Amino acid sequence: MELLAQLPQNLVSGLLLGGMYALIGVGLALVFGVMDIVNLAHGAFLMVGMYTTYLLVNHLGLDPYLGILVSGPILFVLGMLIQRLVIKRIATASHMNQILLTVGLSMVLVNTAQLLFTADYRQIRTSYAETVIRIGSVSMNLAYIISFFLAVAITVGLYLYLMKSEFGRALRATSQDIHAAQLMGVNVQNVQMTAFGLGMALAGAAGALLTPVYYLYPTVGENFGLKAFTMVVLGGMGSVVGAALGGVTLALAESLGQIFVGHELKDAIGFFVFILVLLFKPEGLFGRARA
Amino acid sequence: MSKVKELILPVLLAVAVLAVPLVIKNPYWLNVLILILVWTSLGTAWNILGGYAGQLSLGHSAFFGLGAYTLAITATRFGWNPWLGIALGILLAVPLSLFIGSITFRLHGPYFVLGTLAIAEVLRLVALAWRSVTNGAVGIMVPRLFMGISRAPFYWFIAAVAIVAVGLTWWIERNKVGYYFTAIREDQETAESIGINTTGYKNLALVISAVISAVTGAFYASFLSYIEPDIVLSEPVSLQMAIVAIIGGRGTVLGPTVGATLLVLASELFRAQFKQAHLLIYGLLLMAAILFLPGGVLGTIQQRLKDRRAARLAATGATFVARKEAS
Amino acid sequence: MRRGPVRALALLMAVLLLAGCGGSATQSPGSSSSSSSSGSSGSAGSGTSSGSSGASNPSSSQANLPDEIEIGIITALTGSEAKFGEAHMRGYQIALEEINAAGGVLGRPLKLIVEDDASKPENAISAAEKLATQTKVPLIIGSYSSAATLPAAQTATTYQVPFIVPTAAADNITEFGSRYVFRINSPSSEYASTVVNFLMDQVKPKTMAIVYENTNFGTSTAQPARELAEKAGIQVVAYEGYAKGAPDFKPLITKVKAANPDVVLYVSYLLDATLLMRQARELDFNPKVYIGAGAGFSTPEFVREEGAGKDAEYTFSATLWTTDVAWKGAKEFAEEFEKRYGVEPAYHSAETHAALYLVKDVLERAGSLDREAVRQALAETDMGPDATIFGPMKFNEKGQNAHPMLVTQVQDGNYVTVWPSEYAAAAPILPTPTWSERK
Repeated sequence: MELLAQLPQNLVSGLLLGGMYALIGVGLALVFGVMDIVNLAHGAFLMVGMYTTYLLVNHLGLDPYLGILVSGPILFVLGMLIQRLVIKRIATASHMNQILLTVGLSMVLVNTAQLLFTADYRQIRTSYAETVIRIGSVSMNLAYIISFFLAVAITVGLYLYLMKSEFGRALRATSQDIHAAQLMGVNVQNVQMTAFGLGMALAGAAGALLTPVYYLYPTVGENFGLKAFTMVVLGGMGSVVGAALGGVTLALAESLGQIFVGHELKDAIGFFVFILVLLFKPEGLFGRARA
Repeated sequence: MSKVKELILPVLLAVAVLAVPLVIKNPYWLNVLILILVWTSLGTAWNILGGYAGQLSLGHSAFFGLGAYTLAITATRFGWNPWLGIALGILLAVPLSLFIGSITFRLHGPYFVLGTLAIAEVLRLVALAWRSVTNGAVGIMVPRLFMGISRAPFYWFIAAVAIVAVGLTWWIERNKVGYYFTAIREDQETAESIGINTTGYKNLALVISAVISAVTGAFYASFLSYIEPDIVLSEPVSLQMAIVAIIGGRGTVLGPTVGATLLVLASELFRAQFKQAHLLIYGLLLMAAILFLPGGVLGTIQQRLKDRRAARLAATGATFVARKEAS
Repeated sequence: MRRGPVRALALLMAVLLLAGCGGSATQSPGSSSSSSSSGSSGSAGSGTSSGSSGASNPSSSQANLPDEIEIGIITALTGSEAKFGEAHMRGYQIALEEINAAGGVLGRPLKLIVEDDASKPENAISAAEKLATQTKVPLIIGSYSSAATLPAAQTATTYQVPFIVPTAAADNITEFGSRYVFRINSPSSEYASTVVNFLMDQVKPKTMAIVYENTNFGTSTAQPARELAEKAGIQVVAYEGYAKGAPDFKPLITKVKAANPDVVLYVSYLLDATLLMRQARELDFNPKVYIGAGAGFSTPEFVREEGAGKDAEYTFSATLWTTDVAWKGAKEFAEEFEKRYGVEPAYHSAETHAALYLVKDVLERAGSLDREAVRQALAETDMGPDATIFGPMKFNEKGQNAHPMLVTQVQDGNYVTVWPSEYAAAAPILPTPTWSERK
């Protein structure tokens, strides 16, 4: 087993996948870390983003990456609607009720997709995904590279926005002390709705970035539901940048870990890391870099 | 005397449940009833830990799968009698639950839920990969507990499990243990401060819950006659256990029974009626139930009764006061 | 508080009663009409059996036959395997119309009673119970996945109902000692032996890598493949299970590539097969032969744009059936199928089509709908290679059909049968050109 020979490829693969993971983690960080909603439908949101991208590419002939500009706002509005109609009512309910409600929501979204698109799997073919860049023994798919940089750009943009904007301040205030925020004149209702919309839009963006390199089918999000929580926990609750780093860390752990435990158990690595972090470093690996 | 009186109704209920196969001979409906009892047992097991002691687990497939696999492995690899396999499953459920408890009880709120989910997933992946013991995804053929064509013995076995589980819940609710459990659920720190050994009682609830789940898992394995990790160790099993208890009424004696009945019948009917859309309808109903009956069917009914009684008490109190003033 | 349980009991009873009424009122779903559609029955083989020497005497038993002969079907109409259930139903439908248009069976039209198992084992038991006890079907055909088929087959055995397995490949389905279970398709281990036999006959590799999904199908094919390869003197230099549905197989392929095998055997379904080939190209991984064990590597979509497309070129696969196979009626069936549904049929549809022709043959030989007589007739089946579009039918003492397996290669974007030579439509192209040599 030429461990060293495999290392560079696995590093690069993990890092590129990490970009997508980062966006998934950041989306959940807003909903779970900041708003304290235990949302198991995050994987389904990713799936909705993927199908939206698929429709834009197939029926409007849009470029999948430009599609984010369309699918992002669509999912943002959809997220706000879901928050207003459903999530709002359980914001203060027990965590178990939140979980079961979001499981129900996930079933509804997944099975709606199944009725609309059947269980068949689909993929979009782009010239990016056909282009391969080789550096030494390492091969990189251009689509992965673009997706990675876009993911980084979106995360950085979001971070700056949250740091600088009025909304960012209101969001931080709300997540720290909802009553105090209300007294200070923050419209808490709107903040929570916007945060959920943003979370869904980010999951959708991650879906859009995955579409060119992956394939879509209604249950595609299942793999990412619990993983997203791992990323948020790794990054430290409430930290947007932390969740992004958590996503990259998890992707690297899976990619490097499988050299030792094989591909079959790579998902177990994530769960294992999740439990260890909860037990020994509950504040997350990246401290409390509050965003 | 009142103790005996209290027992009359539950005993009648149990006898009624056990008498069913004498009336319903149709194998299809007997089968549906067996599934209802399987989920009653599982929901009730979950309810003891989640409904009474307030520890919301989404990892109970671990115990269910343990029972199923213990029976399957001992019977096929070592030629054990399946009843011995069930007994060993019960024995093994204790250390496994204490081990999982030692990890997860250090977590709180949503982290406890997610932690249990993660551990159960790890076990599923290990069962898939550890082929020399579990056969991995190929699965194991499980011997039947009862020979012969009739499903009735299967029914009686799982009915007995369900009755014991529900009876245990009934007993817990009426005893000190139940008060300790609910004290932990309502406010763990306060419970601690008045001298309740919270860790001990949480573990007790977990062990009881795990043992019932393991027995049911062993039964289910034999009933299906074939198991693999994705059937008995999968996340949907854990979820469905919680759903049954919560839709029926968390922290009520018969809540999980009601929940199991509703859900199994619903899924049988939906499958026939809605074909492709049955899971969509199921999801919508689940959402509706959580939104509009947060206490579950039975929990909501009981709450209504309480409110009405309180209103009546308040009313009689008011007339009493009014009379007093008039005199 | 004391009234809680009483009320609950009342409620429970009410629900049960309601469900009972509702349940008895529901029709069994999906009973398909026995209409003979026009002009669709033109060309397929009429299924005369070479083995039935006119032993049946329909006229004597006609009197006690029902107006329609009902056949029990279990398949996955909903749930995760719904796609394959649909393929099943399409095969049944075409065969049903052909048989009924040609006069039915024993002078009566066939009718299918279809039960959905929703891709779940526990429902497959319910479905088999229902068919065995609520209907008079002489036999049951089912289901798709091995996980659902096993319990259904055991249930049917309990009730002594003959049970035909069209698709499920797990070896243990014919291993639990049932006299009632008869399987048309080959078990997983046959894929393994076909692959190794083909390699020894045509390629004679020194080393081999086996990459398989860690599912029932994957492991029960990869394990015997490894053993047979070692026995044949091929060194297995990489043996890697994977979890299906991963977005990135590059680390896995990198590991396999580092072992430098002559041949790579993939045991994968469509999604992973597509990605494994695509990323093998990206990593410029060039073994002499890429071969699949059926599944994804013999699905029509695999060679098209929505699958691996041109990355599928030159890949071999062991398979049960192809549209160009030399069995009578296969080509015509494929044409009819494509005309109706706009896609090429996969082997699942051919299996169910053949299953109904098997049923026709068996019932005519049994001459009655008595389950024991039908079981006896099934055991004595001896249908020649042109009796069904899925080839010959003859069951051994375990109820396993000796189905001849084929090896295909993707040539110019089509599956071409290349081995064994008696069924081959073209010669295999060996060795596989490297990625850089391809256009």
